[in-house]
Amino acid sequence: MSDNQRNIKAAERVGAVQSKADKPIKEGPGFSALFAAWVESHRASLVDSLGRLVRQPIGSFFTCLVMAVALSLPMGLALLLDNVERLGGSWQKAAQISLYLQVEAGDDAGLQLRDEIAAMADVAEAEFIGREAGLAAFEQQSGLGQALRELPENPLPAVVVVTPKEIDKAALEALRQRLAELPGVDQAQLDLQWVERLTAILGLGDRFVFGLTLLLVLALLLVIGNTIRLHIENRRSEIEVIKLVGGTDGYVRRPFLYMGALYGFGAGLLAWGLLAFGLDWLNDAVVRLAGLYGSDFALGGVPVADGLSLLLGALFLGYIGAWLAVARHLSELAPR
Amino acid sequence: MIRFEQVGKRYPNGHVGLHELSFRVRRGEFLFVTGHSGAGKSTLLRLLLAMERPSSGKLLLAGQDLAQITNAQIPFLRRQIGVVFQNHQLLFDRSVFDNVALPLQILGLSKPDIAKRVGAALERVSLSDKAEQFPADLSTGQQQRVGIARAVVHRPALLLADEPTGNLDPRLAAEIMGVFEDINRLGTTVLIASHDLALIARMRHRMLTLQRGRLIGDGEAG
Repeated sequence: MSDNQRNIKAAERVGAVQSKADKPIKEGPGFSALFAAWVESHRASLVDSLGRLVRQPIGSFFTCLVMAVALSLPMGLALLLDNVERLGGSWQKAAQISLYLQVEAGDDAGLQLRDEIAAMADVAEAEFIGREAGLAAFEQQSGLGQALRELPENPLPAVVVVTPKEIDKAALEALRQRLAELPGVDQAQLDLQWVERLTAILGLGDRFVFGLTLLLVLALLLVIGNTIRLHIENRRSEIEVIKLVGGTDGYVRRPFLYMGALYGFGAGLLAWGLLAFGLDWLNDAVVRLAGLYGSDFALGGVPVADGLSLLLGALFLGYIGAWLAVARHLSELAPR
Repeated sequence: MIRFEQVGKRYPNGHVGLHELSFRVRRGEFLFVTGHSGAGKSTLLRLLLAMERPSSGKLLLAGQDLAQITNAQIPFLRRQIGVVFQNHQLLFDRSVFDNVALPLQILGLSKPDIAKRVGAALERVSLSDKAEQFPADLSTGQQQRVGIARAVVHRPALLLADEPTGNLDPRLAAEIMGVFEDINRLGTTVLIASHDLALIARMRHRMLTLQRGRLIGDGEAG
């Protein structure tokens, strides 16, 4: 075929093509078209990322499992701590405030004071113990009945025993001071030792869980970052081509962010399952032990709200881990 | 369209890729850049694609100074350029259609519009019947034509090609060059880096000759 013939053939071809869809893209698409394309691009990235995870089921599962273990450790400890706090609810009585009333106050005044205190917002319960009832109890518990009966009159004052709602040390002290100022109250006594011990133990537990959470979140970010880095390495040539034809960093980043979020979601689901199974498994032993102490205590499961928080948190962490990994490696992905 | 004014490129290791290069390319022009290996052809293309920046001088592409362009502007600059490589740079896990559609997806075109334009681009390179196949199923020449279809599907103002016929036999090379001329007739400026002097001589277009980073010739081939 001569040059001339070839040019004529080419011109015919160009003509045919131009009549169909060969207009230059001079102006950008309108807003609705751009929005539709944006949605489509996100959908395609999500489907593509999901497909890549599904095509490597064992690798994806183990990555999720490692992340799930890292997530379930602090979450499991936090749930156990919640259960301990629930168990410690019975220790609340150790934080009772004893109000010794003036000796001359009668039972009616004492009962009225009890009702007044019971109506307070930060009081869970108020119990009135009259002078005679107090003496009887003291006789029984102390074994000093004979000696007490030798006394000319009952030396014991009436008492209002107040059980507060909160066992926070500062709140208890504030409540004690308020109660001490009530008319008819001679002395307000609070034994803070148990409260301080319990608060210290729970505080230590909280701090331990917080520290562990920080460490494991860091570990989780490293796991997801490394996994995404490997995906980036595997797709390096594709990324280079995308950048060469005008793909922005956001366009390149998008499928990896979806992948990180999907890893996080999978890990969150697995962690929820691990926790539910783990707590259920422990519960049998806990119930048997509690039964030996005459308690009907049982471990609570994973509350739905906590499970959903875990799921969303894991998804977010996966996203952030992927974002950090892509941001770290994007500059190395310049076309060569 | 393109203006090189005393453009130099010196690498951190001291190697000089280009020496004070000056020339202009008009919109719609078809030209070759030739020279031996290491002459600076690829450096010149990399500068135009903003894969590298000039060390000195002024390089204007469609009025935009590529020495001053920000990283965020580079993707938008590249959307005005089509690029064809000797090794095709195709994505082997995507079909021919998806490879060609990539620049349009990045531009945010609708699916029907993408289908229409990809169809037209594949028709132009005579690969309409290969749309659903994967690059691995195609011959080297067909892969190169897919690369060309991808480079022109968004009707870029400038088409760059780096040794596009390097791996092809003379018949296929001539066919590929014919496709480039078709594209040029549509108004696209075409700049091809090649050392195939025999092929260039047959084409009778403007030819820039580089030697060790210096421009030693600028005239019509043949």
